[in-house]
Amino acid sequence: MNQHTDTDANADATNIPVTGEELVDTYPSYREEADVSLVDLPGRPAETVPGETVLRPDLAGPLEHDLYSHQAEALEALANDENVCVATSTASGKTLVYGLQIARNYLAARRRGEESTAYVCYPTKALSRDQERELNDLFDDLGLEIDVAVYDGDTERGEPRKRIREEADVVISNFAGVNTYLHDHDRWARFFAACDLLVIDESHTYTGVHGMHVAWIVRRLKRVLAYYGSDPQFVLTSATIGNPGAHSSALIDEPVTVVDEDGSPQGPRDLVLWNPPMRTGEEANGVDAISDDATAASASTGRASDDDPPERLPATIEAPQVFSHLTYHDAQTLLFTPSRKLAELSIERAGEHRRRRDRYYLTPDRGTALEPYHAGHSRKKRHGTEHHLKNGLLDGVASTNALELGINVGAMDATVQMGYPGQRQSFWQQIGRAGRGERRALSVLVAEHRTLDQYVVSHPEFLLETDVEDAVVDVDNDAVFAQHVRCAADELALDERDVGEFAKRERLEGALEMWRRAGQVRGHLETGVSYTGSPRPQSSISLYATAGQEYEVRLAEGVDERYDPEMEPLARERVFRDFHEGAVRLHAGQQYEVCEVDHDAPQPYVAVRPTNVDYYTQTRSEVTILDAESEESREIDDTGFDLHYGTGTVLVYHGTYDKVAVHGGKPKDQAIPTDNPPLQMETQLCWLEVPQDVERHLVEEYREYSVPELESEADLGPIPHIGYMGGLHAAEHAMIGVAPLELTLDKRDLGGLSTLTIDSHLAMDAPSAAETPGDDRAPRSIEAARATVRQLSNALEREPASGWFVYDGIEGGLGFSRAIYDEFEALARRAREHVADCDCGRIDGCPACVMDEQCGNDNVPLHRDAAVDIFDRLLGEGDSLEAADTADSERERRPTLFYS
Amino acid sequence: MSNGDGSNLLALPPVVAERSIPALEDVRDYFDPDGVWVIGPNREPKAAARARQVFDPPVVHPPLGDAEPVQRHDLGTLSVVTVQRGAVLEEAGETLATARGCEDGTPTVLVCDDVTTIVRPTALETTLECASELAALAADADRKRLTVLTGGLPATYDRTWSLERESGACLGVGSPQPDPVGADAVVIRVHGLGSVDGYGPARSISSLAISRDCAADDLSATSDDLTIDVETLDADKFGLEAVTGVGPKTAERLEKRGITTRSELLETPVAQLCDLPNVGPTGAERMHAHAEVLETGEPRRLTDEALPGESHRPPLCLDIETDGLSPTIVWQVGVYDPIDDSYRAFVERTDPADPGPVIESFCDWLLGTHPDRALCTWNGWRFDYRHLGAFVNRHAPHYAVEWETIPKFDLYGWVTDGNALLPGRTNKLEDVSSALGYEGSETGLDGAATAAAYQRFMRTGAELEWDRHEAYCEDDCRALWHVYERVREAPRVSGSGSGSGSRSASTSRAGSGDRDETEGTRTSSESEQVGLDSF
Repeated sequence: MNQHTDTDANADATNIPVTGEELVDTYPSYREEADVSLVDLPGRPAETVPGETVLRPDLAGPLEHDLYSHQAEALEALANDENVCVATSTASGKTLVYGLQIARNYLAARRRGEESTAYVCYPTKALSRDQERELNDLFDDLGLEIDVAVYDGDTERGEPRKRIREEADVVISNFAGVNTYLHDHDRWARFFAACDLLVIDESHTYTGVHGMHVAWIVRRLKRVLAYYGSDPQFVLTSATIGNPGAHSSALIDEPVTVVDEDGSPQGPRDLVLWNPPMRTGEEANGVDAISDDATAASASTGRASDDDPPERLPATIEAPQVFSHLTYHDAQTLLFTPSRKLAELSIERAGEHRRRRDRYYLTPDRGTALEPYHAGHSRKKRHGTEHHLKNGLLDGVASTNALELGINVGAMDATVQMGYPGQRQSFWQQIGRAGRGERRALSVLVAEHRTLDQYVVSHPEFLLETDVEDAVVDVDNDAVFAQHVRCAADELALDERDVGEFAKRERLEGALEMWRRAGQVRGHLETGVSYTGSPRPQSSISLYATAGQEYEVRLAEGVDERYDPEMEPLARERVFRDFHEGAVRLHAGQQYEVCEVDHDAPQPYVAVRPTNVDYYTQTRSEVTILDAESEESREIDDTGFDLHYGTGTVLVYHGTYDKVAVHGGKPKDQAIPTDNPPLQMETQLCWLEVPQDVERHLVEEYREYSVPELESEADLGPIPHIGYMGGLHAAEHAMIGVAPLELTLDKRDLGGLSTLTIDSHLAMDAPSAAETPGDDRAPRSIEAARATVRQLSNALEREPASGWFVYDGIEGGLGFSRAIYDEFEALARRAREHVADCDCGRIDGCPACVMDEQCGNDNVPLHRDAAVDIFDRLLGEGDSLEAADTADSERERRPTLFYS
Repeated sequence: MSNGDGSNLLALPPVVAERSIPALEDVRDYFDPDGVWVIGPNREPKAAARARQVFDPPVVHPPLGDAEPVQRHDLGTLSVVTVQRGAVLEEAGETLATARGCEDGTPTVLVCDDVTTIVRPTALETTLECASELAALAADADRKRLTVLTGGLPATYDRTWSLERESGACLGVGSPQPDPVGADAVVIRVHGLGSVDGYGPARSISSLAISRDCAADDLSATSDDLTIDVETLDADKFGLEAVTGVGPKTAERLEKRGITTRSELLETPVAQLCDLPNVGPTGAERMHAHAEVLETGEPRRLTDEALPGESHRPPLCLDIETDGLSPTIVWQVGVYDPIDDSYRAFVERTDPADPGPVIESFCDWLLGTHPDRALCTWNGWRFDYRHLGAFVNRHAPHYAVEWETIPKFDLYGWVTDGNALLPGRTNKLEDVSSALGYEGSETGLDGAATAAAYQRFMRTGAELEWDRHEAYCEDDCRALWHVYERVREAPRVSGSGSGSGSRSASTSRAGSGDRDETEGTRTSSESEQVGLDSF
């Protein structure tokens, strides 16, 4: 951390309306000193290069400014026929890179008397419209008549579309559109044949399931382009991520040159990490009636008892107050909220704050031109808000992450974040909205009371490390691959030329044979494979799910449209867990009850209606893993811990749910059946096996620990292993909890299982069932699965190992377990630090450290100290174990226990 | 309607229980089946009972076979052994062995709705349910080949599975014929009976005409040497609902007023039809007109829109054959010229690896001898023009501009734009032309079969019966002209307006077409015609 050492960059510190220190000093309520930390981020001057050094005079001439060094570097690489990924900060002029490349190609083609086109893809339609203007302005400035057009779902059908296909030089779209339009590629023959450049803007947003689909759509697009004789270059622009090169290459399946030495200027910044104060009893009961579902769930996790872990005020309350305070002090401020509803509410809450503190805020109207902003608003309204921000008519805007991506609204004085946005790249992207040129800016992160946020505010150095999360794109998921194989065959017959290009032979043949047998394709690679299923396989692809369809969330019949929750479609796994009939979900501040789930409709859906009840629901889940097969394994640094990566079957049974009182968290009604069948997934796994001597030592160490309710429930009597088991369970939670610190993922896409008998979850070497089709082995119910595990456990010849599994919670996997396998030590180190440093002072932890709102076992048993011990051993930091190894060991019967 | 000399087996989805009796009678009269199977595997006794009220031939609902899990029915020249469920397949051995076999020329098929495929994308694997039972059954009945029909798969499904005799393990799958197999294998041809994706909520009905293969050239390896001709129709294309503008609600209202058949509809004055909710004078007129077309088999024109070429020289009727729906070659281009009743075909018989020559010679001829003629196709905007255009651009780019300027006309598009009403329950050329009295040359081929045959030629060099395949293409060109003439001569519906459908359909819409792009929506686009596999 730099403490005011960089004097140059601080020269204009006076420009800022409020500094971080002033914020703390003037804020009208007492707070613990430890709850706020100030970090001073130094600025940096611009590094520029005259345009002529990389551009021909006809382009360099009209440019008003020199190029930043990274722009010049990227243009140079493009001139050398390389693909480029520009991974620099917000507002560092990435658009100019591909804008100039398009202009270059256009001029070069014009000299040859030909055409040159470019296909530019943005992640959102709003961004497409915004960038259309930017590009048009650029080409106007350059004096070039380059025809730029947006072609997406909002483009008028018929003639306007035809005109674009037949005339436009630059087509702007999104990948959902590209997926659809590929079916009719013949209509794009002119555009494709002349295509010299493909631009993937904000490429870091393509991760997880969505990223895999995009990677395959890009591959399909490349096939079609090749058919029309085009082999375009790629420009990807990305926020700062840990692996821009690897991520870009995975997306486009070609080598990529990374340009990440940012030459744009940056002013110094006051970063304030703001932890809201502890709730008083009254506040805790007053319940944060309006918060998004994640915080509500975490705020109420844990069992009902008087010694519930203490909680802090939620960021949803605190952040709008800070926002209001800043605008009062003349700082034009952007507040980032996690949902649309909260964006709206924050404006109200900012006003309330002023009124409640009227003795402090003496000029009540100062800085009150505030507006919400999110994708639910009309384009016109959003445009107006953008405009008013830019010209200073607005003092502040509360926005969802819709303003995180590159829409041009000018630069703010300050940003406030309602909770840590989950990823460092997102964090930086958002705070990058404040700061004009080299002026000082202020950014405030208001933390929620949950694992990630608390980690971040107590380890500020984490934000400043140069390593940002890796973005994970995985093309190994066969379920997703197979869907795109059908589309590819529909677009152009698949043949020998696709072997190695589109996929390796074995995999391609495998997918084709599968579809052939299913009656969906005809023909062979030698002469071409055509698709013969029902028309337009492209329309069956849903860009956010791996297999099958997503569920639409709609209002129950007869409910006023105003209550439309406007939720993204849900993956099947999510519906089974959180949206069974009878579930009460809090979404954007409104309680909804699920009144109908239709799994069989052509478009499966979940129907909800707004409700107002004094409970929420919590699903009880049972998880077990079967037939795990190791594909790769390694020992962790001579510690005896073995780590595996592989695939297996995960059975998840969300069989019952509880109604839990919002006030006090006491269960009202328990074990209500969901009537859901168990979910079965073939997915990717990573698992850790604890060496026997470590296990023996730790069992001994924590054998006094007991959880009476658990022992009586399971009718097992005292279990000497329960303390150690709590350690495994807590360590597993902590690992999953901190995974987003290293990897771009949503932790809800991960699941875990800690177990005393890893071996019984593994595929057996010589099962009698080997010859029968694989499906017959899979148990039909969770009871059967558990019985299988117990039976296998009893039949084991050697003493089984204990440990935990982490799995990708999506059919076919997402590549996350694989990434965890690769980054295991780094994650373990983070997890250990976090668990050990939490100041909750409880053996079984709190929601900020080892409790997990998704835990299927109600967060029991958990043992923080044991978890820290396990981490120490696996990081090679524990004491030697020679004495502890009581070789006599009466060999207590090891129970088959596993917890998710 | 009976297709061919074989036995007609009608497969009804259980939702037909919801259709009216007159609609089912219409189904009966249209298909004239030798046997009716209300398909499983779900138990739907009401549906079976309703079907029995209407159909005289045996009505079988396999899930109801509690007393008699294995039943045999002889339908004319076909024996059908129905097995209630997969678990009792092995009990069918005896019945199968005693069923008249290949010796006396009576083919036998098995029906079992539990036979289906399981697709497991995460394993890149499709398996056949009941495979080991089927293999054991075939061995038991001492057969090397067996044909199984199943409601567990759509009627478009036709694949031949080679299974290891002992274990039922899959050795390979062909469509429909497998690659040659060894002595320890049995060959199971699996054909679907179930509803086909893409039809409306009423599902589809399929009729299978099953006969011994008479013209077995390249199809010689087919199990039991059976030819199975499938006709699939939307289940709501019967009774009153076959009439354009009559949906389930209107049909119900009409039935309440005692109007249950199309002829009764015709007898109802237009003024009276206008009393129905949501039916205006134009709609009522059109209902009448369409009912009349369906009843009389006579086409009607609805608008004053001229048929393209009507006032000038008639267009050339064009049809192409490819090697699949995503073609790598257009290997046959057929053109019929109605002016001198001549037919011209351009066929690649020697080098299927080079798509250029056929395109080149077709363009040479067309632009050389008929530079001023328009072209006419059936569904050309979605297939023939689309692919020809792509191949011309690629393999004869010097003709690309000329090709663009040739006036192109799609009779199918003109009709479906609301310019005419045709008899026939589907818009397939074969259906429409035969309803209009065209008698084809009975080549026994369809687009998929001729594409599959050419693919085999590409892979193995096995020559096609060229004459037969060329006759098929010629047949389509002539059928098109037949339809054109009948439409040209058709009377106009009295009092109908002059506006056509939405757009002028007569001239070239190269590249524009009306293929909808429906990003974000997941239903197949409405204008995408199911079953129009015209290649």
